[in-house]
Amino acid sequence: MGRSSRILETMKFIAPLAFLVVVWAIVVPVFQVNPQIFPSVPAVFRAGLDSILNGTLIVHVGASMGRVILGTVLAVLVAVPLGILMGISKGVSDFLTPLLRFFSVLAGIAWIPLATLWFGYGFGAIIFVIFNGVFFIVVYNTLLGVSTIPLSLRNAAASLGAGPWALFTEVLLPGALPNIVTGIRTGLGFAWRGLIAAEMIATNVGLGYMLFVARDFYQTEVIVFGMIVIGVLWLLIDRLVLAPLERATVERWGLVR
Amino acid sequence: MNALLPLWAFWARATKQFPVLQTLAPFVPVVLLWQAVASWGPFPPAFFPSPMDVVRNFQMLMYKGILPEYLGDSVARLAAGAAVGMAIGIPLGLLIGLSKRAYAALWPIVLFFQAIGDIAWLPILIIWFGFGLTTMAFVIVYTVVFPVIFNTVLGVRSVKTDLYRAAQSLGAPPWRILFEVVIPGALPNIITGLRNGLGYGWRALIAAEMIVGTSGIGFMMFDARRAGSVTEIVLGMIVLGILWYIVDAWVLAPIERATGRRWGLVTQ
Amino acid sequence: MKNLSLKSLSKTYFDPYAGSHYTALHDITLDVPAGEFVSVVGPSGCGKSTILNMVAGFIPHSGGEILVGGQPVKGPGPDRGVVFQSFALFPWKTVLENVGFGPKMRGVPKAERDEIAREYLAMAGLSHAADRYPNELSGGMQQRVGVVRALANKPDVLLMDEPFASVDAQTRMTLQEELTRIWEERRPTVLFITHDVPEAVFLANRVVVLSKGHVLADVPVPLARPRVWDKLVEDEEFKDLSNKVLALVRSA
Repeated sequence: MGRSSRILETMKFIAPLAFLVVVWAIVVPVFQVNPQIFPSVPAVFRAGLDSILNGTLIVHVGASMGRVILGTVLAVLVAVPLGILMGISKGVSDFLTPLLRFFSVLAGIAWIPLATLWFGYGFGAIIFVIFNGVFFIVVYNTLLGVSTIPLSLRNAAASLGAGPWALFTEVLLPGALPNIVTGIRTGLGFAWRGLIAAEMIATNVGLGYMLFVARDFYQTEVIVFGMIVIGVLWLLIDRLVLAPLERATVERWGLVR
Repeated sequence: MNALLPLWAFWARATKQFPVLQTLAPFVPVVLLWQAVASWGPFPPAFFPSPMDVVRNFQMLMYKGILPEYLGDSVARLAAGAAVGMAIGIPLGLLIGLSKRAYAALWPIVLFFQAIGDIAWLPILIIWFGFGLTTMAFVIVYTVVFPVIFNTVLGVRSVKTDLYRAAQSLGAPPWRILFEVVIPGALPNIITGLRNGLGYGWRALIAAEMIVGTSGIGFMMFDARRAGSVTEIVLGMIVLGILWYIVDAWVLAPIERATGRRWGLVTQ
Repeated sequence: MKNLSLKSLSKTYFDPYAGSHYTALHDITLDVPAGEFVSVVGPSGCGKSTILNMVAGFIPHSGGEILVGGQPVKGPGPDRGVVFQSFALFPWKTVLENVGFGPKMRGVPKAERDEIAREYLAMAGLSHAADRYPNELSGGMQQRVGVVRALANKPDVLLMDEPFASVDAQTRMTLQEELTRIWEERRPTVLFITHDVPEAVFLANRVVVLSKGHVLADVPVPLARPRVWDKLVEDEEFKDLSNKVLALVRSA
């Protein structure tokens, strides 16, 4: 795709959203909406500018992103090797599948009460919740990915002289990669929500906290600004990191699932 | 080795007759391990309850009628949310999938609002509607709607051009094509969307019940957290897991299979 | 090149539902001398692929012996190159990387194994496809890569499991002719599994007919080489041999 057509695509994407903002900018003053119910565009703009200038936004975003990245990286590092080891044997993976599905259902939010009790309010509990949200789904998807690798590929590698380690790095890991990426994408989606929920309940910094505190003071302009930040951040993570990764593996290799 | 063969034969025949055994078996070692850690581990019972504590707690809450009531509340909310979410999501998905203009106008908006995520709406919803049912209903519908839209669009797109042409050449007017070709063709994807949507909605409901709730399983767990009752929290988690497992594996997955496999449409 | 020898080979499976064993193959004795091309034909379910999987070491055998150059087979190994019906190319590796996989496993440095891979690709007329991914190639091209990948690892014995069953008829004939040409040049020991009788006769020095888990007949194929389809379709000796084998397969 050329540079100019990419700009055009972006413009096309932004146009409907810009239109929405225009409608919002007209509706609020015309109907004289109570700012405690819904803020005006300039008020949100000012709230955003304030939080950028006095540095609070950076602190909250930094805290949230730091937690997500740490929790996700930890979870993926543990989950992928574990998932591959479990997936090698069909017997083992069949046996563990119900267990993993059970725990991936519970993943994330449902752990908040227990996590806060075990680790107290704060960093540990939130990392635990994110770890949980990503871990089980990635293990499950990795296992699924390994089981979709045709047996003939493993046989081919073995008959060409691959040992266990080469089998892992050359066949099982790349073969499961599309599913792993899908798993991370799904898990991160859950973890991101879990993060916001956990921050509302269990901390004193982060985007979820920023929104929840603003609620106490009926600062709708801060809430709406925070929601926009959350939406933009997730879009950026999903579109710029996760989706291209998924496309690069699935499309290039012609792996259709 | 050979001594194990009769055992294997027994297990194969037992699971063939009662497939549920295959689902339950992996939990046996987990529960045993849990019991072992609770009995001999370093954690005090208040911090790490044993399986028997949880069972006793379950009996007590069943006897008092709290658990059935809360469970009923949660399931009713989820069902209502799913119904409304589908009622909004499917028509919107059909529109976006069929019309290029609707796609250009609505797709970015859908993507953006999906990205904000259900839970981030909670603070402003609480301001608008207070702590209560409306807030929770909004959150669940919001969560269910997006996966339904995405998958409906995907489903509409996956209907083969030849099928449209066949229907047209057989004399079907546009609205009949919608009901006879597009919707059935997209159905497997729509079901998948509902399944994903409920998966997200379920989690959102728990979060909403924790933060704004006055009843429901999420509320029960968070209330237990305030009272410091780990047993009740663990019970809540188990109930959540089992319930979702039942809904997903025994209701949604069979519907998905029934449409997708029956018609030979692969929807993975 | 080494010889391949199967001695009273048998395979029994345990069926957990029936609670008993059943025999898939019994008492298979077969000798493939070094540098000979042997085809194994038989109706589906006769156990021909089971033989190949056991020789390759993918599944254990229940009784008897499998010897490659006198050494018993224990699991898969680079001494036996395998060409699969499903091609089994690694989708995440380019053609060059696929062909260089065997040497890589032996610890050959990158520059050297790329050179080896290019040399073998040139032999099959695939030089232009070196940097493509497998899914970007046609079925016929993919299987050429599959054959070249097995050869590039310099195996003692080449095992081929219905390698041309999933390519179109036109390409299949070209691939068969290419395979005979390569065989004549390099004289590898080949065990070739197929259900296609003309293919078996066209390629082999000997055709072994398999039926219900045992060897039914062992037919020598004294046809002259080089073999090309244009000549052989008209050839009486080829027709007679094919009909003879076909009759045996039908009677099986």
